[in-house]
Amino acid sequence: MQQSNGYIITFAIIMTVIVGGLLGAANQVLAPAQKKALELDNKKAILKSVMKLEASSDVEKIYADRIKSFVVDANGNKVAGKVAEDINIRKQSKAKDADRLYPVYKFLSAADKNKTEAYILPLFGNGLWNNIWGYIALKSDFNTVAGIVFDHAGETPGLGARITEEAIQERYKNRLIFDQNGKLISVKMVKGEGHPEAELGEHMVDGMSGATLTANGVNAMLYTYLDYYLPYIKKNRQ
Amino acid sequence: MSEKENNPVTEQNPPLKKESEPLLSKRRKKFISDPLVDDNPITLQVLGICSALAVTSQLEPTFVMAVAVIFVIVFSNLITSLLRNMIPTRIRIITQLAIIATLVILVDQVLRAYFFDVSKLLSVFVGLIITNCIVMGRLEAFAMGNKPWDSVLDGLGSGLGYSWVILAVAFFRELLGSGSLFGFKVWEAIGLGGMPNNGLMVTSVGAFIVLGLIIWVQRSRTGYVEH
Amino acid sequence: MDLLNLGIRSVFIENMVFAYFLGMCSYLAVSKKVSTATGLGIAVVFVLTITVPTNWLLQELILKENALYELTGLAVLKGQSFEFLQFIMFIAVIASMVQLVEMVVEKFSPALYGALGIFLPLIAVNCAILGASLFMVQREYSLAEATVYGFSSGIGWLLAIVALAAIRERMKYSNVPDGMKGLGITMVITGLMGMALLGLSGIKLDFSKEKKSKETAQVETTVQQNTALTELKK
Repeated sequence: MQQSNGYIITFAIIMTVIVGGLLGAANQVLAPAQKKALELDNKKAILKSVMKLEASSDVEKIYADRIKSFVVDANGNKVAGKVAEDINIRKQSKAKDADRLYPVYKFLSAADKNKTEAYILPLFGNGLWNNIWGYIALKSDFNTVAGIVFDHAGETPGLGARITEEAIQERYKNRLIFDQNGKLISVKMVKGEGHPEAELGEHMVDGMSGATLTANGVNAMLYTYLDYYLPYIKKNRQ
Repeated sequence: MSEKENNPVTEQNPPLKKESEPLLSKRRKKFISDPLVDDNPITLQVLGICSALAVTSQLEPTFVMAVAVIFVIVFSNLITSLLRNMIPTRIRIITQLAIIATLVILVDQVLRAYFFDVSKLLSVFVGLIITNCIVMGRLEAFAMGNKPWDSVLDGLGSGLGYSWVILAVAFFRELLGSGSLFGFKVWEAIGLGGMPNNGLMVTSVGAFIVLGLIIWVQRSRTGYVEH
Repeated sequence: MDLLNLGIRSVFIENMVFAYFLGMCSYLAVSKKVSTATGLGIAVVFVLTITVPTNWLLQELILKENALYELTGLAVLKGQSFEFLQFIMFIAVIASMVQLVEMVVEKFSPALYGALGIFLPLIAVNCAILGASLFMVQREYSLAEATVYGFSSGIGWLLAIVALAAIRERMKYSNVPDGMKGLGITMVITGLMGMALLGLSGIKLDFSKEKKSKETAQVETTVQQNTALTELKK
C-alpha cells in the first residue's frame, strides 16, 4: 500500500506528539519517585556502614533521627549553606582539589543526641572495570573503623563484586587508620585469602582470592579519601 | 501463513461469527505453545541472543529482564497490530522502533522509580531491549499482518519461549558459579557446604557454553538439524 | 596515553561480543564466510566511530540536565533534563546516521558501497551500536574518549566476527553431533574464544605510575614497619 507524502508526514508528526507527550507525562509523574528512590538508596548505604538494617526498617525515620550531616571544604572547615545529601561525590571527584566539598555524616548516639557515635565519610574510586564507591564510618576517636560499605558499577560477579558482601565488609571493623605516631596508614586489603587474623594486624584485612585488582582499587580509594579528609580529621582528633 | 488462510473462513460464514472463535482456541493455543519448544526464538530461530544474556549471571535480574521483555513484546505487538492499517509502509521500521523504544523507556522509568535495586543490577541492558531482534522480528513477521488478540498471544508465546531459555541459563550459571539460587545458598542448605564454585560460570564464557549445551539438548529432542 | 589504554581495553578485554553479548544476532547469522564477515565488521566499525561521538554531542548539548538551558538561555528550560528521551533519541540518531552513511558512501565510493551496501541497513538494529552509546554515557567519557571507544569497540567486534568466520569455514571438516551443528557449536566456540581473551583481563598500560606507586609504597612500608613492631612486642 503506497500512501501520499502528506499522509506519511502527518502520521509521523502525530506519532511524535503522542510519543513525546506520553513519555514527558510519564517522566513528570515518575521523576519524584525516582529521586526519592535514589536518595533512599544513598541513605540506606550511609546507615548500613554503622548498623544492620532489616527489610522492615523505616530508613527515612532512622536517618532523620540519628544522622546529622554537614559539609567541609578541602581545608577541613565547615561550609555553611550546603546540604550534604545534595553533594554528588562522583561530580566532586572531577573538580579541582581545592574547590571540592566533602560531606560528613555524624551518627548520633541513640541515648544521648549530643554524643556522636561515629563519623561517616564517603569514598569514591576505580575498581578493575569501573567506579567503586562506599562509606566508611570512623568511631569518635577518628581512628577506629566502626564499619564500611562498598558498592560497584561493574566488578566481576563472584570475584571483585564480593566487596558488596557483608562478610568482606565485616573484616574492616575495628581496624585502625593511624599508626602510633599519628601518621595516616589507612587499611589495606592484602593479596590472597585465608590469612590468619594474627598475621594481619591493625592495618590490614584479609583479601579476596581472584580479585586482587579490585582490592587494589579499594585500597587506593580508602587511602585517597582518608587523605582528603585528613585536614578535617586532624582538626577534630584529640 | 496458515492463520491468514483460516481467517476468511470465519468471515465467509456470517451466522458463525456470533459465536466467534473462543479466546483460546486450538489454533490460538499454538501461538503460545509453538515458540516454547518447536519454534523457540533462541534455540531454533537464532533471534535475540543479544543483550539479555548479559544479565544471566544471577537469577533475580534475569527474571526481571524476562518480565520486561515479555511486557515489551506483548504490548508492542498489540499496538503495532492495532495500527497495522495506518502505519505507512515507507516509514514502518522507524515507527516500530519508536513504539518499542517508548515501551522500553516506560519500563526503565518504572524500574528506576519503584525497583531501584533491580534497575541498578540491569544498568544499560534494559535499554538494549530496544534492539532485541525478537521484538522487531515479531512485529515485522506477525503483528503487521494479524489481528490484535492473535498478536498478543504470539508475543506472549515468543516472550515465554525466550524467558525459559535465559532463566535456564541463569539457573546453571548462578548454581555452579555462585552456589546459590535467587541468592539462597543451596549447597550449604543441603549439607554440601564445601562445594567449590566454578569461577568460569560467572564470566561470559559460562553463558556461551551453557547456552550451547541447552541448544544441543533441545535440538536433540526435537530432532532439528542445521546444515 | 589513557586513550591508548582505553582502546586496548575495549578491543580485547571489554569486547562487545565476548564480554557483553552485544551484536550477537548478526554475529551468529553472518559468520559463515570470512569475506562477508569482514564486510559487515568494517561497516560496524564505520558506524560506531560516527554514532558514538554524535550521540555524545546529543547527550551533552541537549539531553543532559541544564544542557538545553545553557545552549538556548531560555529560563523555562532551567533545571530540565531530557534524559528520559535518551533511548529513543539515540536509536533515531543511529537509524538516520546509518541511512546517511549509506547515501554518502553510495555517492562517493561505489566500490565501497558494493562491499558494504547490503550490510548497512542491518546495522541499525545491531545491539552493539546502541550498547556502545549507552556505555559511553554510563562511563562518562569525554568526546575524545567516546570517539576512541566507538572505534576500538568496533575493531573488537570486527576481530570477533572474522575470527569466528574463519573457524566456521574450517568446521566443515569436523564431525559435529547433529544437535550441536550450527548454533550450538558456534556458541561453544564463542565461549572458548572468550576464555582465551579472559587471559588478557587486568591488562593495564599504566603511564601514571610514579604518582600511584608512591602512595601505595608508602602504605606498604608503614604497614611492614607495623607488623615488624607487633612481632617484636611478642
